Amino acid sequence: MAHVVLKDLVKTYGSFKAVNEVSLTVNDGEFVALVGPSGCGKTTTLNLIAGLIPITSGDIVIGDQVVNDLDPKDRDIAMVFQNYALYPQKSVYMNLAFPLQMRRLPKAEIDKKVREAARVLDMTQLLERKPRELSGGQQQRVALGRALVRDPAVFLMDEPLSNLDAKLRVQMRSEIKRFHQDLKATIVYVTHDQLEAVTMADRMAVMNGGYLQQYDSPAQVFAHPANMFVASFVGSPAMSLIPLEASTANGDTVLKSAEGWSLGLSQLNARKAQRATGRKVVLGARHSTIKLHKSAVPGAIPAKAYTVEPTGDVTFVQALLSGAIVNISVSPNIAVKPDEQIWLEFDQERMHLFDGETEMALEAA
Amino acid sequence: MSTIAETSRRGQAHRRMRIDGWRWGGRIFLVFMLLYTALPMAWMLITSIKSGFAAMQFPPQWWPDQPTLASYQKLLDPQNSVGQDFLRFFWNSLYVSAATTVLSVIVAVPAAYAFSRFTFPGRNFLFFTVLLRNMFPAVIFLVPLFILMRAIGLVNTHGSLVLTYLTFGLPLAIWLLKGFYDNIPVQLEQAARIDGATRFQAFILIVMPLSTPGIIATAIYSFIGAWNEYIYAYTFLSKNEQLTLPVGIQRFFSENTTDFPGLMAASFMMSVPVVVLFLVLQRYFVRALTEGAVKH
Amino acid sequence: MLRKIWEHRADYAYVLPAIAVMLVVIAYPIYYTIDLSFFNTPPGLQLRDKTFVGFNNYTTILTSAVFWKVTWNTLIWTVGSTVISFVLGFAAALALHRDFFGRGVLRAILIIPWVISAVAASYIWKWIYHSDFGIIGAVLVGLGLADRPPNFIDSVSTVLPSLIVVNIWREFPFAMIMMMAGLQTVPDQLLRAAKVDGANAWQRFWHVTFPHLSNVSTVTILLLAVANFNSFIIPWIMTGGGPSNASHIWITHIYELAFGRQRWGVASAYSVLLFIILMTLGYFYVRALSGNDRRDEGA
Ligand SMILES: Nc1ncnc2c1ncn2[C@@H]1O[C@H](COP(=O)(O)OP(=O)(O)OP(=O)(O)O)[C@@H](O)[C@H]1O
Ligand SMILES: [Mg+2]
Repeated sequence: MAHVVLKDLVKTYGSFKAVNEVSLTVNDGEFVALVGPSGCGKTTTLNLIAGLIPITSGDIVIGDQVVNDLDPKDRDIAMVFQNYALYPQKSVYMNLAFPLQMRRLPKAEIDKKVREAARVLDMTQLLERKPRELSGGQQQRVALGRALVRDPAVFLMDEPLSNLDAKLRVQMRSEIKRFHQDLKATIVYVTHDQLEAVTMADRMAVMNGGYLQQYDSPAQVFAHPANMFVASFVGSPAMSLIPLEASTANGDTVLKSAEGWSLGLSQLNARKAQRATGRKVVLGARHSTIKLHKSAVPGAIPAKAYTVEPTGDVTFVQALLSGAIVNISVSPNIAVKPDEQIWLEFDQERMHLFDGETEMALEAA
Repeated sequence: MSTIAETSRRGQAHRRMRIDGWRWGGRIFLVFMLLYTALPMAWMLITSIKSGFAAMQFPPQWWPDQPTLASYQKLLDPQNSVGQDFLRFFWNSLYVSAATTVLSVIVAVPAAYAFSRFTFPGRNFLFFTVLLRNMFPAVIFLVPLFILMRAIGLVNTHGSLVLTYLTFGLPLAIWLLKGFYDNIPVQLEQAARIDGATRFQAFILIVMPLSTPGIIATAIYSFIGAWNEYIYAYTFLSKNEQLTLPVGIQRFFSENTTDFPGLMAASFMMSVPVVVLFLVLQRYFVRALTEGAVKH
Repeated sequence: MLRKIWEHRADYAYVLPAIAVMLVVIAYPIYYTIDLSFFNTPPGLQLRDKTFVGFNNYTTILTSAVFWKVTWNTLIWTVGSTVISFVLGFAAALALHRDFFGRGVLRAILIIPWVISAVAASYIWKWIYHSDFGIIGAVLVGLGLADRPPNFIDSVSTVLPSLIVVNIWREFPFAMIMMMAGLQTVPDQLLRAAKVDGANAWQRFWHVTFPHLSNVSTVTILLLAVANFNSFIIPWIMTGGGPSNASHIWITHIYELAFGRQRWGVASAYSVLLFIILMTLGYFYVRALSGNDRRDEGA
C-alpha cells in the first residue's frame, strides 16, 4: 500500500484545460472519491495517475516515488474501468490471469491467485465463461477481480458501478467498501454520483470544470460546503439557494428579498453577512433544516406551496421564494396543498451564506 | 361494423399482395442474376472438357459427345512442355501472391493502428495520401516504375512485382483495419498496460486478436489482387520462366491460338485457388466490411 | 510544430513502412511522369536523348481526333459500368437480405465473378462472343433472332456495350457485397419503429434503409467509378482497343502509346491529364471515405 500525492496537476488538450492545478494527497489505506458532474475531468485525473496519458505539468507521487515519466505497468497500480474493459476474447480465468502473466509469475502461482480471487468474489463457477456470457454485475466483479489478483499499491476505479441497476449498485457498493476495509487498500474512486461518494469514501474531492472545489470528509463537505457549487452538488434533494441582499436595518444585519420581506439573522450569521453588506448574498438551506408552518410565526417567511410530492415516509414540498425554488421535507401527516399559503422558518445553526459574486461560502469576520 | 371489418380485411389482402409482389420480383431478379453469373462459368467448364475439334462446331454441342480431361492432363503433366510452363507459372503466382500478402499485413497493421489511435501532426494528410493511391491506375506509374526498377536492377524479378502489388493492396487494407481499430475500445489497451503490458504487448496480445477478421480480410484482398494482377507483370517480366499465370497463359496460348478448350481449362485452374480461398473465408470478408468499413 | 513532431516521434514508427513504400512507388513516379511529359523521347527508352518540347505533347493530344474518341469511349464505359453494376448489385443485396433456403450458396455463386481474374473473365467472354462458335450467337440463330452469329466484338457499333456487359459481370458482386454489409448495419429498431408508424415496405426502404445507406452507396459508387476509369485488362485482352479504336479507353490508349509506339512523352502528358481528372474525383473519394471517420484519442 502507498499514498498518492498530486501536486499542481495540469492537463491541457490544445488550449482546453481538462485538469487545472489539482493538488491533493491520498493517505495510505484511504478511500478517496473523486466526484463531479460529467466532463469535469475525473477520468482525465485518474488516467493521469495511471500514466495512461502524459501530464502537461505538475507532479504525481505514488509511494515515495515521483512517477511522472513512469509507464503504467511500472506504477504498481490496478484500475477498474467504467465499461470494465474485459478482454472479450479471453475467458474469465484468462482475464484474471493476464496481469500475473505479464509479471511472469510461475503458472502454479498464477493458478493459485486466480482461484483465490475467484473464491473471494464468489465466481469460481464462472471461470470458463467469456465476458459476453456474463451479466453486468458479474462482469463488474471480474473487473474488480482483475484488479484484486495483483495486490497493487493503489486501486483506481472509474465509475465501476455506473452501468449497474439500482439494486445491484447498492449491493456492490457495500462489497467494495468491505473490500476496502479488509485490504486496507488505497483507493481512488471516481463517480458522478455524490451519494456513492458520501456513503463510501473517507474523503471526497469535488471537482468542477477541471478545478478541485473542495477536499474533505463527506460529513465536512456536507456540513460546510466551500462554495455554491459544492453546496448544490452534494446532498439530495439539492440544497435550496435563495438570492438575497445583505443590508442593515436598525443596526442589525438582515437579508432583504426583492419580494419585500427580510430575514433576521443570528449573531454568527450576521457577522458573516456583514462582510457582504450591500451586496448579493445567497442563502443556502437543506430541505431538512427548513420548518414549514401553516400559519404565521415570528421570524418565518411567507411563501406559497408549489408542488407536493409524498414519498411515503416524508413529503417533499416545493415552494417559490424570491424567485428560487425551495425544497422542504415535512412529515406526511402535515397536509399541504399546492398554492396554499405557508410560512418557512430557517434553522440559523444550519443555514449557509454565500457571497453572490464569488459564490464562496462567507466566513465570520 | 361489418364494413369496417371488410375494409380492414381488404387492406390486409392488399398489403399481402404488395409484399408478395416485392418478393416475387426479387426472386425473378435473382434467377436472372444467377443465370448471368453462372452460365459463362458453366460454359467455360463445358468447353474445357471438349476436344479441340468438338469445340469448333456450329451449332455448338451443349454437352460434349465425348467429354475428355485431356486439356487438364496436358496442363498438369510435368513431362509435357505446356505442363511444365503452366506449373511453373502457377508456382510463380503463388510465390508472388503469398509474399505480397505477408508483407501487406506486416505493413498495414501498424499503420492502420497508428492512424486509428494516435494524433500526430500530419496524420490526416498521410492517411489521405495513402487512400489516394487507390485513385491512380497502374498505367500512370508504369513508365516511371519500369525505369525505376531498371535502375535498381529489379526488372525481371519477382521483387519488382511484390513491391508494386504492396502499394495497391495497402490503401484498402489500412482503411479497413483502421475501421476495426476504431471500434476496439481504447480502455482495453489501457487495461492491458495497467495490467503490466507495454504498449507493444498490449497491441500484440489484446488488439491484434480482436482484429483477426480484419486481418484475414486484408490478407484475402491482397492475395486475390496479387494473384489476378496483369498489367505490371505483363510489363515488368519478359523471361518466360518468371511469368505469373495471368500473363503466362496468354503467351502460351497465342502460340496455338485456337485451343479454346485448353484456354478454358487454364482459366478454370487459374481461378480455383482464389475462388476456394474466398469462399472459405468470405464470412470474414463480409464481417470486416460491416465492422470496419461500413460502420456509421 | 517541430517540438510536437518530436514528441510524437514514436507514433511515426508505425506508419513509416507504409509511407516509405508509398513514397517510392507513388511520389517518385508522379514527379517523373510530370517531368517526362515536357519531353520528346526517342524510341527504345534511351532517356538520355530526350529533348525538351514544352507543352507540345499536350497540344498534340488535345488537337487529335483520337483523343476525343477515346475520351467519349471512356465516359460511356465508366458511367455505364458503374451505374449498372451498382443498381444490379444493390438490387441483388436487397433480394438476398431476407433469409431463404439456399441463400448462402446463391450469394457465393454471385460473388465468384468478382474473385476470378479479369484475364480469365476476358478469355471466357471472348469465347462466348466468338463470331463463329460463340454460344450467344448460336442461341440467337437457334431462336431465329439472327441469320448468322453477330460479330459482337469485331463490330464498331457493338464492341463497347459487349465489353461493358463483361465488366459488369465482374463488378456487380462488389457492389453487392458492399451493400450487403451496409444493409446489416441498418438498425432493426428503426425499421420496426417505421412499421409501427404504418410505413409499407417501399416507404420503409425509402425513408429508413436508403438514407441509412447513403454513405456506403457513395463510397461504393466512387470505388466503382475509379476502378472503371482505370480498367485495362478487359478491353486490352478482348479487343486491344479495336476495331478502329472503338473500344480504346484512356488507359489502354496510354499503354499503347507508351509501350506500343514508344512515345513516352505523349503518354506521360496523357497521364498528367488523367492525373488531374483523378485528383478531382479523388477529392470526393477522400471526403466520402473519411466522412464516417472523426475520432480523436488523447493517448
Ligand atoms: N482526448 C481528448 N481530447 C480533447 N478533450 C478531451 C479529451 N479527453 C477528454 N477531453 C475533455 O476533457 C474534459 C474532461 O473529460 P473527462 O473524461 O475527464 O470527464 P469526466 O469527468 O470523466 O466525465 P464523465 O463523468 O462524463 O466520465 C471533457 O470536457 C472532455 O471533453
Ligand atoms: Mg469519465
